Amino acid sequence: MNTEMPLRLLLGPQRPVVNLDSAVAQSGIGDGPIGVISAAWQEAEGDIDDVQRLLPNPLFDLRLYQRTEELFAADERLREAYRRRQDRLKEQQRLYSMRLKHLMVAARETLRIEGEPAVVAAERRHAISQLRALDRHHLAQVEKAHTRFDSVFNADSHKLLAEHTAAIEDELSRFETVLMTGGNVIVLMNRLRLFGLDRLLRHKSIIAWSAGAMVLCDRIVFFHDRLPQGRRDPEIVGLGMGLLPGIVLLPDAKGRLQAKDLVRIRLFSRRFAPASCMTLDNGSLLSYAGETLRDSEAAKRITRNGRFKRVRAA
Amino acid sequence: MNPALRKLLRKGTPEPADIDALIAELEFPLVDGPDVTFVFRGAADEVNLRCWISGLDTAQPFQALPGTDLWATTIELPKGSRIEYKFEVIKNGTRELILDPLNEVIAHDPFGANSVCQGYGYVRPEWTLHDPQARAGSLQRLQVDSGIFKEPREIQVYLPATFRSNRRYPLLIVHDGIDYLRYADLKAVLDNLTHRLEIPSVITALIESPDRLKEYGGDDRHARFLVEDLLPFMNDAYPLLDAANARCLMGASFGGVAALHAAWRFPEQFGSLLLQSGSFAFSDIGRHNRGPVFDPVVRFMNEFREQPGIPADRIFMSCGMYESLIYENRSLVPHLQAKGVELRFEEARDAHNWENWRDRLRIGLSWLMPGPAWMVYE
Repeated sequence: MNTEMPLRLLLGPQRPVVNLDSAVAQSGIGDGPIGVISAAWQEAEGDIDDVQRLLPNPLFDLRLYQRTEELFAADERLREAYRRRQDRLKEQQRLYSMRLKHLMVAARETLRIEGEPAVVAAERRHAISQLRALDRHHLAQVEKAHTRFDSVFNADSHKLLAEHTAAIEDELSRFETVLMTGGNVIVLMNRLRLFGLDRLLRHKSIIAWSAGAMVLCDRIVFFHDRLPQGRRDPEIVGLGMGLLPGIVLLPDAKGRLQAKDLVRIRLFSRRFAPASCMTLDNGSLLSYAGETLRDSEAAKRITRNGRFKRVRAA
Repeated sequence: MNPALRKLLRKGTPEPADIDALIAELEFPLVDGPDVTFVFRGAADEVNLRCWISGLDTAQPFQALPGTDLWATTIELPKGSRIEYKFEVIKNGTRELILDPLNEVIAHDPFGANSVCQGYGYVRPEWTLHDPQARAGSLQRLQVDSGIFKEPREIQVYLPATFRSNRRYPLLIVHDGIDYLRYADLKAVLDNLTHRLEIPSVITALIESPDRLKEYGGDDRHARFLVEDLLPFMNDAYPLLDAANARCLMGASFGGVAALHAAWRFPEQFGSLLLQSGSFAFSDIGRHNRGPVFDPVVRFMNEFREQPGIPADRIFMSCGMYESLIYENRSLVPHLQAKGVELRFEEARDAHNWENWRDRLRIGLSWLMPGPAWMVYE
C-alpha cells in the first residue's frame, strides 16, 4: 500500500495562460496514465485533445457525464427523482439567497459603522455569527435533500448504478493520478456524488483546475461581483469532497471579485473563517501533500482585514 | 460652430475641393463632446433636422454656410445619447425626408430606416454583434392553430445551440418577435448571452400579430391566445419547465402592453415580464390625447392602475428618456413596487426604437433569467 501522502495540485483557469504542463512537469507525478474527469464540461465531456497535447501522460476520460445520461435514459424513475431533487435544491438555494441578502446588508453595515469600539465589535461578531448560522442551516438542508435521494438510489440498491460505479472503480484502479477540469461545479459535484467518487479519489493524486479544485474543499462557495445583472453575495451551495478541509478556493478571483471593496472582502474572509479563502487566478498554483501545503505560485489568501496576501508554504 | 467647419470658413469662401477633402476626412455627424453638428451638402431652400425626440423641437433648422453649398445645425446631446434622425430638405416648394447622405450608420425598423447619431460616450454593445465564438441557435417556423382567433398563427421558435430533447428549458415569449430578430438582432443577442452563460439556454417563441395595434392593445383575445393556444402548443412541442417562474413574457411598445395585459388577466401563468418602452398611456381625468388607437390601451391601463394585483413576481422595465412614454413608464414603477413586485427599471438616453430595445436586452434578460455564469468556473 502506498503510504505517501497523495498530491493535490490545484490550478487556476487555464486561459489565457496555460500552466498545467509546467505544474505537472515539476510535480514529480511521472509519465504514467492519468484518469480524467471532465464532467464539468457537460456535453463537451471527453474533448481532451488540447489537454493531451500538453502532457506526456496518456489520458483516459472516465465519462461521468455520459454515464449519468445513460442512467437517465435507462431508468425514468431515477431521472425523475434526480430532477425533483434538483428542483428542491434550486428552491432551497433561492430561499437561502433571499434570506442571505438581508443578513449580508446588515453585516456589511456593521463593518462600515464607526462607534464605541466594544459595542460595535460585539454587533459585528453577532451579525457574522448570524450569517454563519444561516450558512450552516442551508448546508444541512442541502445535505438532507441529497441524503434522501442517496438513500433510495445507491450502488447497493440500484443495479445499473452499481454496474457503472464498479466500472468506474475498475477504471480508476489503473490510475494513480486523476485530472479534474474546470466547468460547471454543480454538474461535476452531482456526478462525483452519484458514483461515490469521494471515497474512490481519497487516495489518488489529483490535479485540478478551477471547478475541479473547488469540489475538493469541504464547502463549495460561489461568488461573482461582476455579473451583468449586478453582483451577487457569496453563497454556499453544498459540501465538497472534503479532501482539502479548511480552505475556500476562489478561481478567477481577479475577474469575479471587486477586490477594492474592502468591506465586501473583509466580510468574505470573516464569514468563512476559520477556513482560509485563497485565490486561484490564471497562472496560480497550490500544491498540497495530503492536507499540507508544499508549494504555491501567485495564489493569494484573503486576510481578516480584506487584504490579499501571497500564500506561502510553511 | 463646430471647430472643423470654423477652420474651413476662416479664410473666406472655401474651394469645392476643400469641402470635398473635409467631408472625406471627417465622420458625420460631427461629435465634439456634447455638441453634435449635422451637415448637409446640396442645393436647398431650407433644411431641417427631424429627430422626433421628446424634449427637443420637432424640426431643428439648419443654417446655410456662406459661400458654400453646406448647411449645418448643432444640438447638444448628453453623454451616452443615441438618436435616430432624418433630414427634411425643402426645395422649390417640395419637401423631402432623407437619410443623412454623409452618415453610413443606419437603423432599420418596420417603417423604413433612419440615420443614427451616436453621441459621445455611446458605443454599440459588443454583445449585440455576431460573435463567431458563440454557437448559433436555430430557428424553426411553426403554425399554431388558434382556437381563439379561429385561424392558424405563424410563429418562429428559437432553440439554443445546446438544445437537448431530454432537458427542460425555460420559455421566453416575445411579442413582435420577428421584428426583434430583424431590427434588434435578437438571435445574435440570444446566441451571445447564452454562450457567455449570462442567461440559461432558453426556448424562445417569437410571435407576431396581423393587427398588432388592436390585438396588443389590451385585447382579451390575445391574452387567451397566449394561455389557451400558445402555451399548450409549446408544452406539447418542446421540453419546457412546468412552472410560472420559468415563463417570461416580453414586448416593446404595444407589445409591452400586450405582455402586461396577459400577465394581469392570467396571474400566476408568467413569472416574469420584460417590458420595453411600454405604451402604458392612462388618464387620471378626462380624455387622453394620444388618438383613438390608444382608447383600449387607456381603458386597460386605467383599470390596471386601479387594481394592478401582482401580474408577475419579477418585472424588468426599460424606457428611453427621449420618448414621451417615459412619464407613463416612470409612473408605473411605484405602482408595481407597492404591490411587492420585484422590479428593475432602466432608463436610457435613447428614444422609441428597436436599437434602444436591443441595447437593454442584456441587462433585462440576465436579470430576469440569470445564467449559469455564477456556477461555472472555467
